[in-house]
Amino acid sequence: MIYLLAGNPNVGKSTFFNYMTQSHVHVGNYSGVTVEKRVHHIKNLPGANLVDLPGTYNVSPNSEDEGVVTYSILNENYKGVINIIDSTHLKRNLHLTIQLLELGVPTLLVFNLKDALKNNGYVIDTEKMSYLLRCNAISISAKERNKEDQLKIVDEIKHLQALKALELNYHPVIKWGMQRIHDLLRYDNFQVKKKWLALQLLEGNEGIYEYLDLSKKDKIKEVVKEVEQRVIDEEVALSLKGAIFNTRREFINNVVKECLIKVEEKEHSKYFNQRIDKYMTHPFFGIPIFFMIMLIVYQISFGQFLGLGNWLTGFFELFWEDIFVHYIGLGLEYLGMSGFIYGLVVDGILAGVGGVLVFLPQIIVLFFLLALLEGTGYMARVAIVMDRFLSKFGFNGKSIVPIITGFGCTVPAIMATRTIADKKERILTILTIPFVSCSARLPIYVIFISIFFTKYRAFVMLGIYLLGIIVMLLSAKLFSLSFFKGSENRFLLEVPPYRMPQLRTITYQALEKAKRFVKKAGTFILVGSIVLWLLSNNGFSGINIDPSVSFLSDIAGFISPIFRPLGFGNWQATSSLISGFLAKEVVVSSLQILYVGDIAGGFTTLSALTYVIFASLYVPCISTVATIKAETQSNKWTLFSVVYPFIVAYIVALAVRLIFGLFI
Amino acid sequence: MNITEMKVKEDATIKSFDKIDSNFRKRIMDLGIYEGAHIILLSKLSFGLLYLVEVDDVEICMRKEDAMLIEVSR
Repeated sequence: MIYLLAGNPNVGKSTFFNYMTQSHVHVGNYSGVTVEKRVHHIKNLPGANLVDLPGTYNVSPNSEDEGVVTYSILNENYKGVINIIDSTHLKRNLHLTIQLLELGVPTLLVFNLKDALKNNGYVIDTEKMSYLLRCNAISISAKERNKEDQLKIVDEIKHLQALKALELNYHPVIKWGMQRIHDLLRYDNFQVKKKWLALQLLEGNEGIYEYLDLSKKDKIKEVVKEVEQRVIDEEVALSLKGAIFNTRREFINNVVKECLIKVEEKEHSKYFNQRIDKYMTHPFFGIPIFFMIMLIVYQISFGQFLGLGNWLTGFFELFWEDIFVHYIGLGLEYLGMSGFIYGLVVDGILAGVGGVLVFLPQIIVLFFLLALLEGTGYMARVAIVMDRFLSKFGFNGKSIVPIITGFGCTVPAIMATRTIADKKERILTILTIPFVSCSARLPIYVIFISIFFTKYRAFVMLGIYLLGIIVMLLSAKLFSLSFFKGSENRFLLEVPPYRMPQLRTITYQALEKAKRFVKKAGTFILVGSIVLWLLSNNGFSGINIDPSVSFLSDIAGFISPIFRPLGFGNWQATSSLISGFLAKEVVVSSLQILYVGDIAGGFTTLSALTYVIFASLYVPCISTVATIKAETQSNKWTLFSVVYPFIVAYIVALAVRLIFGLFI
Repeated sequence: MNITEMKVKEDATIKSFDKIDSNFRKRIMDLGIYEGAHIILLSKLSFGLLYLVEVDDVEICMRKEDAMLIEVSR
C-alpha cells in the first residue's frame, strides 16, 4: 500500500516524513531540499509506505522537480494522498489541497505547524474544515514528534475512504471547456478521473501531455486555446488560469474565514524577521556577513582557532594509528604473515582507507554546521543577497542552494538544480558546480596544508575554496555568453520565516552524510587501495617488488610527462590523480600508499601548491559524471563536463606555477 | 502605479500583472500573488534592485524589472 505525501515547499514536509517513518531525510528551511522521491515504511502501520514527493505549489509543474508530482498522480499505484499544509499560510497552501481533493482519491489533510499558528494567536477548526472539504483533517506539530499524534495519524490513514471529488462552481465557460475536453478523452484510459484531467489540461498542465499518450492531443490543445480566448473575450478573467484560480481563491477565502479562529491578540513573528533581515540582507553588509559566517564554519571545521574538527581528528588519529593499525600489525606478525600479506593489509588497505577516514570528524562538523545554517532559513537570505551578484555571471539567485550543497557533495548538488525553472540556467549551473570543492577533495587539501603550509591553514584553505568559486563564476560567465545566450534569468523567491532548527534532525542529517562518507571509504576506496597496492607492488619483474618498477609506474610514467610543466611529472603523483577519478578521496589514499607515508619528500612547496590546485579543479569523479549524464540527458554535455575542467585545471595550475614561482 | 512606486511599509491592492509573460505569471500566482490581493512593500534590497513584498502573510522577493510590471492601487 502506497500513500503519496504532497505539500507546498518549506512546510515541514520532510520533518513530517521523518516523523511518520522514523527515517531521516535531509531537512532544510528552504524550498528544493527534496529533489527525488523517497519511500519509507510508515511506523506502526505494517505494509504501508509513504512516498515523499518534492514540494509544489500546484499540481502542474513549473520546474522539473515539480513534474514528479504530476507524474506520480497519473501513473503511480497508490492508495491515498496525504496533504501536508502550513497552518500559518493557509490561503496559499489550500490551492494545492483543492487540486488534490478534485482528484477524488482518499485524502488526509495534515495541518502542520500548529505551534507556530498558536504563537500567532490562531487555531484551526479541523472539524469544520473536515466538513467543508469533505475529507479527514488533523492538526499537528510534526517537529514535536508526539507519539500519540503519530498513532492518531496512522489511525486516520487506516480508515481513509474514497471520497466524492470536490466540485467547485467554476465559471460556465470553464465548465463548457471541461465538458469538451472530457469528450475528447473518451478514447483514452487512465487511473485518474477524466473531469480532473480536463480541468488540469485547461489550467495548462504540460506534464500531462508528457506523461500520458492522449489520442486527441492536438485537438485538446486547440480547445484549450479556444477556451482561453473566450475567457478573455467575455472578460471572465485576464487568463484561463486566472479564471480557474479566482474561483478557487474565493472558495478558499471562505473556508479560511470559517475555520481559522483567532484566540488571542499577538505580535506577529514577522517583525522579528524584519529586524534580523535588515542586517542579513543589507546591501553592504549582507555579503560580508555571509563570508564571515562561512569563514567561521570553516574555521570551526578545519582551522586551528575554534578548531573543533581538528581537535576531534587528533583523537581519531591517535586511536587509528596507535591502537587499531598497531594491533592489527602485531596480530599479523603473530600469525606469521609478514611480507606480501602484511604489506597489502597494513600499507595498502589500512593506510589507504585510514588516510581518508581520518577526516571523518572534520566532515561531520562541517555537515553539522551547514545543516544548521540551512535549517534556520538563512539560505533564502543568502539567495537574496547573492542574486544581484550571481545574475551577473548568468546564474540565478536560486543557484546558491546547489552551490552550497556542492561544498558537501557534488552529486546531490547537481540534483538540487532541478528547482531552477529555466533549462539553460539549470545546465549552466550543473556544468559549473563541480568546480566547487566538495568534501571529498578536502582530505587532499588538509594533507598538503598540514605538510607544506602549516602557518596559514585556514587562509590557504579558504583560498583554495575561493579559487574554485572564482573558476565556477568565470566559467558560468563564459557559458552564458556563448552556449546559453538569452536564458530567461528570472528570480522569484519565497522568503521563509526564521525557524529554530531541530537539533535532532540536524544531527541525524550530519550523521547520515557521514555514513555515506564511511560507506564510500568501505567500498570505492577499499577497492581502489587494494588495486593500487597490487599494481604498485607487482610488475613484469615479479611480485612484491619495488613500486618504481611496478605496473603502475609503467602506466603512469607514460602519462606523467604531460604534468611536467606543472611541476609534478612523476608517476606517483600522476597515478594518484588517475585513481582520483573513482572518488576524490582516493587521491590521498594513493599518495599515502605510493609515497609509503612520506608525501613531504615527493613535492616542493611550489609543486605541492600546483598539485593541490590541479586536484581541486580537474575532472569530476565517476559518480558525478554519471549524475550529470542522468540530469542533462546529453552525451555532449557529459563529455564536456569531463574535458573542460581538465583543460581549466591545467591552465590555472600552470598560471599559479608561473606566478608563485617568482616568490617561492 | 506599480510596486516600485510604492513607499516602504505602504500597503496597496494588486490590480493586474498581465504584462508579465504567461510562464512567469503562473509562478507568481503559485506564490499567492493575485489580482485583488493585499500587498505590503516590506523593503527594497540590494540597492533597490530587489523588492521584498508581503502578500497574505507570505514574504516574496522579486526583481525590480518584474515588480515594475505589477500594477497596484492604494
